[in-house]
This record gives sequence, C-alpha cells and structure tokens, in this order.
Amino acid sequence: MRLRHQLLLAAPAAGVLAVFFALPVAAVAVDAFREGHRAFGRAFALPAFWPSLAGSLLLTAAAATVSTLVGVAVALHLSRLPEGRRTLLSFVIALPLTFSGLIIAYGFILGYGRAGFATQLLGYAGFDPAVIGKALFTPVGLAFASSYYLIPRVVMGILPVLVNFDRAQLAAAESLGATSSQAFRQVMLPQVAAPVGAAFCLVAAVVFGAYGTALALVGTQLHILPLQLYSLISETGTDFPAAAALALLITAACSAIMTTGEWFGSRHERHL
Amino acid sequence: MSRNASVRLDGASFRYPGGKAGIFDVSFEIAPGELVVCIGPSGCGKTTLLKLIAGFLRLDSGRVHLGGDDVTAATVRSRECGIVFQSYALFPHMAVWENVAYPLRVRGVALAERRRRAAAMLDMVGLDGYGERLPAALSGGQQQRVALARALVFEPRALLLDEPLSALDAATRVTMRDEIRRIQKQQNIASLLITHDQDEALSLADRVVVLRDGRLVQVATPQQIYDRPADAFVASFVGRANLIDGVAAGADVVDTALGRLATPLHGAPNGAAVRLLLRPERVEPVAAAGGENVFAARIVHDRFFGASREIELSVGQGSIKIDTAARGGIEYLRVPRDAVQFLPTQ
Repeated sequence: MRLRHQLLLAAPAAGVLAVFFALPVAAVAVDAFREGHRAFGRAFALPAFWPSLAGSLLLTAAAATVSTLVGVAVALHLSRLPEGRRTLLSFVIALPLTFSGLIIAYGFILGYGRAGFATQLLGYAGFDPAVIGKALFTPVGLAFASSYYLIPRVVMGILPVLVNFDRAQLAAAESLGATSSQAFRQVMLPQVAAPVGAAFCLVAAVVFGAYGTALALVGTQLHILPLQLYSLISETGTDFPAAAALALLITAACSAIMTTGEWFGSRHERHL
Repeated sequence: MSRNASVRLDGASFRYPGGKAGIFDVSFEIAPGELVVCIGPSGCGKTTLLKLIAGFLRLDSGRVHLGGDDVTAATVRSRECGIVFQSYALFPHMAVWENVAYPLRVRGVALAERRRRAAAMLDMVGLDGYGERLPAALSGGQQQRVALARALVFEPRALLLDEPLSALDAATRVTMRDEIRRIQKQQNIASLLITHDQDEALSLADRVVVLRDGRLVQVATPQQIYDRPADAFVASFVGRANLIDGVAAGADVVDTALGRLATPLHGAPNGAAVRLLLRPERVEPVAAAGGENVFAARIVHDRFFGASREIELSVGQGSIKIDTAARGGIEYLRVPRDAVQFLPTQ
C-alpha cells in the first residue's frame, strides 16, 4: 500500500522527466548515432566548431562569474533586510525572468548599442561610443546581457541559505576576537561556499546552453555552440545527424555542469 | 563602587531607535568570581543589557567598565568578553576542538598550542575525546559545554551567558546549571547570566538583578530577593506570592479581605492602606479553629505535584494560595505573624 502511494506520488515527476527530457534526448541520440560515430566526427570538423566551443566557454565563464559575484552581493544585502522589504525587492529582482529574451535584447540594443542611451552618456563621460557600442555584440557583451536572467537565478538560489544562516555565529566570532573580515572568511564563507558553487554551476549550465538573447542580439554571427547548432538546424539544414551530435554534446556539457552543482549542494547538506 | 570590579555599569541608558524599549539608568557591578543573574519578564531589557556590555550595542549615556578599563567606546572584539549564546552559535563546519580553539586561532596562537589548550578546556567541561566530532553530532547539553569552553579558552575579562539553558530539556538543564556554576567558580571569572527562569536565577546566582521595563528594580542575593522583595512586582515575579491589600487597624494589626491579621509592627497610621506579602509555603493548614491568625477556609483549586500541593482556598471575603505537603481536606489555615511582610503600596 505504501509502495503504491509512493509510486503514485512519483508518477507526475516521472512523466515530466520522460516527456520533457528522456524522450527528446533519446530521439536526438538515435539521430546522432544513426551512422555510428561519424556524425560526431563531422560536428567536430565543422569550421566554426572549435571557435564556437571557445566562445561558449568564454561566455559561460564570464557570465557565470559576474552573475554569481553580483548575485551573492545582492542576496547578502537582501538577507539583512526586514522580511517585508526583502520580499518586495526579491519580487522586483525576479521580474526579468518573466521577460522574453527578445524584448530584453531589444532593450539592451536601445540602451547599450551603438546609438544607445547609456552609450551616448558614456560618450559624454569621455568613453568612445564606437567601442562601447561594439562591445555589446562580443562574447563579453553577451555575458553582460545574459546577466539579466542569471543574476536573479543566483539571488533566488542563495537567498534562502543566507536568510537561514545563523548570524549569531558572526556575532560569536567577533566577540571571540575575530575581525569582521575574519568572521566572514572563516565562519560564513565556508558554510555558504557550497550553495554559491551550486548557483554558479546552475547559471553556467543555463548560459552554456542558452541561445535566445544571443540570437536576438547578434544573429548567428557570434561563435558559440548553441548558435552553431541553430545554424545547422535552421540555415544549412542538410546534416541533421551532425546537428543531433552537437545537441548531445551541449546537453552532456550542461548535465556535467549541473552534476557538479549538485555535488556542491550535497556538501552543504552534510553540515546540517 | 569598587575600582577592581570586573564588570561595572554606571548609569547605563540605551533606547532602541524609533521605539520606547531599552534600558534606563542601570548601575551595578560584578566582582571577580561572582555570578550575577539578571531576570525579568520578556522585553524587560535583559538581552539588551548583555549586548551593551558585550559591545553589540552602544550606550546612549553612562559607562561600561571591564576589568577596571572604561570600554564604553570599545569594539566588540576588543572588549574580550566570552559569550555563550542562546543558540550556542557553534560553527557547524568546524570540529569541536576547532570551535574551542577559534579564539586562539584569531589571536595567532600556533596550531600545536591551540590543540593543547582546546583539549584542556574540553577536558574541563567533560568532553574529553569529543574533539574531532562535528557539533551536529553532539547533544544539546554537549553543545552547550563546547560553547562554554570556547567562551573561556582565551581567558576573557567577563563571561556573559544569554539564556544558556533555555534550549535544553528539564533534566539536562539541572545538570548544566551545576556544571556552569562549577566551571565559573573554577575559572574565578565575573559572570552575567540572563534568564527568565526564576529557579535558575535563585539556584545559580551570587546576586540577582531584577529588571522591569528596562529599569533596575532590585539587586540583592537570591535569599534577599525572595524573602525581602523590593516591591509587589519582584515578590510576584520571583516565586509564588499572595499580595493582599489591607487597612492598618493598629500598630501590629491589619484588616484584610481574609479577616483581621496580627502582623509585625508596620508603622502605618490607623486607616492607612497597606500591602501585604504572604508566601504560600508559610501559610499552614491546621486542624481546628482558635489561636492567632487562624481562619476557616474552603478549597477552590487543588493541584497535586507529588511532593507538594498548590491549593487555592477561599478565606473570608478573599482567597489565598498555599503550598503544602499535607494530604486530605483543609478546613482551617494559620498565618504566622512573622510570615507577613509589608510591601510599598505604589
């Protein structure tokens, strides 16, 4: 009877996993391995593959690092606020997650593009508008644009950990002779490092596989793996097994990053 | 006030911004080796007082002295108070010995020395052999001992304990009460313990500080606090009390709702309002009428606790609570003349 109840409760999760992950991945895998390993060989041999891999790694490292640093700082601030103000600000910070990447990309072009408002203001401040305007369409610029949906994810992931952190520990450390910096580094940081690592991995996985904002900002001109895959599917459209192989590689990379994040998360659980 | 008191507050006042709560003009001192227990109802300013001594809050006016030094403007870390927090505030990612050695670590003491001194402290609090465990693997009482060892390992100028026993079960609380007293005496350190538990206060303290609405009501030994409370608030907060209003009807006689009571000399003029305190355990059930201060009584409520009973009785036009080990019914009560105390009427 108990087993039956457990199976009933697990059924929706199993269904979601099957419909939205296992079946699509299986279908892609069948296509990728239809010719043995040859489709992977062709994917690696694509002229843009290695530059795209490098671009994706650069984008992922930059966007995830910046988003994690900013997100943790924001979450630290929010965790110290009274509950009402924290809830309101959390809502505002999470709002960008509801916007379409297309709208955000358009907003960034209007704000930070060649004729953007912020670009013009920076021009008045002595910066070269041509350089600033161009930067948005590079991997680093894309990392900046991607932060709009990555920072809220970091904040949402870290905030409960920081809110629940027993601040009496910091007070205790200080009373025992630690400086504020020592208390943060030796007492708080080791305890929140694992969730911060998990949040980093989560946003790294998200940005590694994301293409919407990039596509809207720069079309397929920028070399990153998701845009390379998009090109294979929608433009050239002749080598679907190679596209499937590339899709599997991206999925594997994202899954590996997420697994690392889960490992970080489990390290945190062990202290509790 | 003596100059060598380890903790001294002079006219300490603090009000929380935007509120009325705080502490107001509080002065007392704690001598080396003395354990002072601060009690009072929730929100009376007990923990605020501790935070002001520790430096987590800054006084609006008044001075704080530790070990003879004026530390009113000093930071938390430079005050060197060992604090035991209500939640223990142990560092869950550090082993027990690392927790205990943490104050030595931030003072740059070498690793081998840290280990040696942490081990010695753990031995003193009865946790020899627990050093390598994580705090989560310890019971509440054991965690409390670790917190105590950590607070003492760096030889602080004062030991501050914020409701240290409130998270423990009743049996462990009694054991830890004795342990805290033993260790505190062994270390000969000036200590302030915050609690709302009157039993804890009376059984642990060398002296008790009673706070009400941020103001100091009485500082005295536990026995004085119980036997000679400063006012009706202290009388009813510390122990159970019968507070009875009456009218002076002679030099040693008072008319009350219970009837006419023979009392010690009270000095109030005839017709003046007086307030009496009768501790429940001082009122005696007797078998028959007759004699001084003997009244007919009828049981209204009877709570049985095994060793004793807490009984509320109707007497004359009023009521009275008694604590007694007597079994069976009660028809008469005697109020010994020397059991009657007078309290301020305001």
